[in-house]
Amino acid sequence: MNSFRMLKKTGVAALALTLAACGGSGSGSSSADTETVDAQTVHGCNVLNVYNWGEYIGEDVISNFEQKYNAKVNYDMFESNEIMYTKLMGGSAYDILVPSDYMIERLLKENMLQELDKSLITNIDALDPDVVEMQKVYDPELKYSVPYFHGSVGLVYNTENVDPAEIEQKGWDILLDEKYRDKVYMYDSQRDSFMVAFKALGFSMNTSDENEIQQAYEWLRKVHETVHPAYVTDEVIDAMAYPSDNNPKDIAVVYSGDAAYIMAENESMDYIEPKQGTNIWSDAMVIPKNAGCPGLANEFINFILEYDSSYDNSVTVGYTSSNKKVTEDLSNGEFDGIGAYLPRTGYDKDEVFRFNEVLVQKLSDLWNKVKID
Amino acid sequence: MKSFSKMVYPYVVWAVAMIVLPMLMIVLYAFTVKGNSVLTFQFTFDNFIRFFSDPVFPGVLWRSLKLAVITTVLCILIGYPSAYIIAKLKPNSQALMILLITLPTWINMLVRTYAWRGILGHMDMSGEMKVYIGMLYNFLPFMILQIYTSLSKIDPNLIVAAHDLGANNRETFRRVILPLSLSGVVSGITLVFLPAVSSFFIPKLLGGGQYVLIGNLIEDYFISTGDWNFGSAISLIMAIIILISMYITRKLDRPVADEEVD
Repeated sequence: MNSFRMLKKTGVAALALTLAACGGSGSGSSSADTETVDAQTVHGCNVLNVYNWGEYIGEDVISNFEQKYNAKVNYDMFESNEIMYTKLMGGSAYDILVPSDYMIERLLKENMLQELDKSLITNIDALDPDVVEMQKVYDPELKYSVPYFHGSVGLVYNTENVDPAEIEQKGWDILLDEKYRDKVYMYDSQRDSFMVAFKALGFSMNTSDENEIQQAYEWLRKVHETVHPAYVTDEVIDAMAYPSDNNPKDIAVVYSGDAAYIMAENESMDYIEPKQGTNIWSDAMVIPKNAGCPGLANEFINFILEYDSSYDNSVTVGYTSSNKKVTEDLSNGEFDGIGAYLPRTGYDKDEVFRFNEVLVQKLSDLWNKVKID
Repeated sequence: MKSFSKMVYPYVVWAVAMIVLPMLMIVLYAFTVKGNSVLTFQFTFDNFIRFFSDPVFPGVLWRSLKLAVITTVLCILIGYPSAYIIAKLKPNSQALMILLITLPTWINMLVRTYAWRGILGHMDMSGEMKVYIGMLYNFLPFMILQIYTSLSKIDPNLIVAAHDLGANNRETFRRVILPLSLSGVVSGITLVFLPAVSSFFIPKLLGGGQYVLIGNLIEDYFISTGDWNFGSAISLIMAIIILISMYITRKLDRPVADEEVD
């Protein structure tokens, strides 16, 4: 899995394709024993438009689904919830979306989602009860979404250069330690960075209090001045997994799934969810109101929940599955000893993001101010 | 001839649909707030007030203009002598040199910038320096080609005539070659300055995430914040600045054009 993803990431497309082809013929045949359903006769349509995050699905999941339902899947990828939202507002019709918690809350509020057909989603019991608990925050009636992946935000650090006891004790405040000047990556996203600041200061990350926002801004400015972090996005994964620059970083703010990947690739890395609390999040599958083939979309959700697909997704991507059995098997198998694969649940200082448009605008202006000298 | 003028219509339709309408959309977004989710328009200057009332945003604008101006000047300083030397070569060598200069542009700019990231990643220099190297590398070919084209179009007889009239090499260059090649420099400036001022992926990839430019701001407000109105307002401010700078460069070109007519 890891070598496959690395090849893909470094852009050796031809090699990756060959590997994918090999992988496809290998495991594709093993799961083809299930009976097939003809989508056209059952649901009256056989084309499914899926819009998911980039690098967020197993290698054979789509082709297995297409085979089983004799359907065609158009698979599009987005890189942020906001891009997905914009495209949706532009009138694009999708059958399946996989947005994050706060975006689902927004879509629900704007009445853009349709209720799922639970009679078709027979695998719903496979869901991890802890994840369902989190789901209640954004989908209180559990009627509109089915969790896909979940995780937390934390710090990945190099155990050779950072004392685990020190980072454990300081948590987020380690980002204010001058020792680590030019040794820190922060995620270039106002949401995640302000979350770190709010949590470090002991506030709720869903605060609207002007005074708390101002203090968080000053905290981030202080981080900017003391450790001078590099603000990056997905390149943090490769940079921490395969440190090769002349100035490798020791600490990075990352999502737990990326941390799991980094730790699987690089033994000297470890992951910590700071004691001041963090953001726990969940991405879930929803069906928009304007879906062209809702019946098949419900079948798709059910198919993703199946053990085989969930396993394939999770083992390929490194993010934590919402299928409890898969998570258990992987944390004792492929991801044994990789703490980041099992994000913290049930900690009272951890929070789920809520949708707050006014706050988003305020934070994005302030975030640009943090980054600009 | 009159029948040919009808063939312009498809282009006009295309231009309106692809150029004018999107521009109007940007103007519409720039003067409204939350036009994205609500269909009732309320015209307002809020976005522009927001931009200019905080010194951060004009600061970014200033930094982007500075980067674009320095890139353009460096491109002229390196590009003019290079083009001049190439234009003096034998025709076969000229063709080869031009091929070598255009060769990198056959590969996507993004890919080449990633390659630079690999090279510069191992070097100990500031993010700003890396950004300048990337900008210069990406835009230099445009400048060389423009200047080379105008230099090679100069009638050699003009130079011979200048010598006949008693001008030495230096005077010939200053009074004949330079003025005649200025139009190439001006179009080179247009081709380098405009993309340089709004470039966002070169600083993003090479600046180590510590170098915010106006292009990054626009990208940020469109993509990660979803605030199209403010993003459009910034784009509009940029467009106006570009329009003004184009007007100034055209003015630079004007006296030369007049001389040519004489």
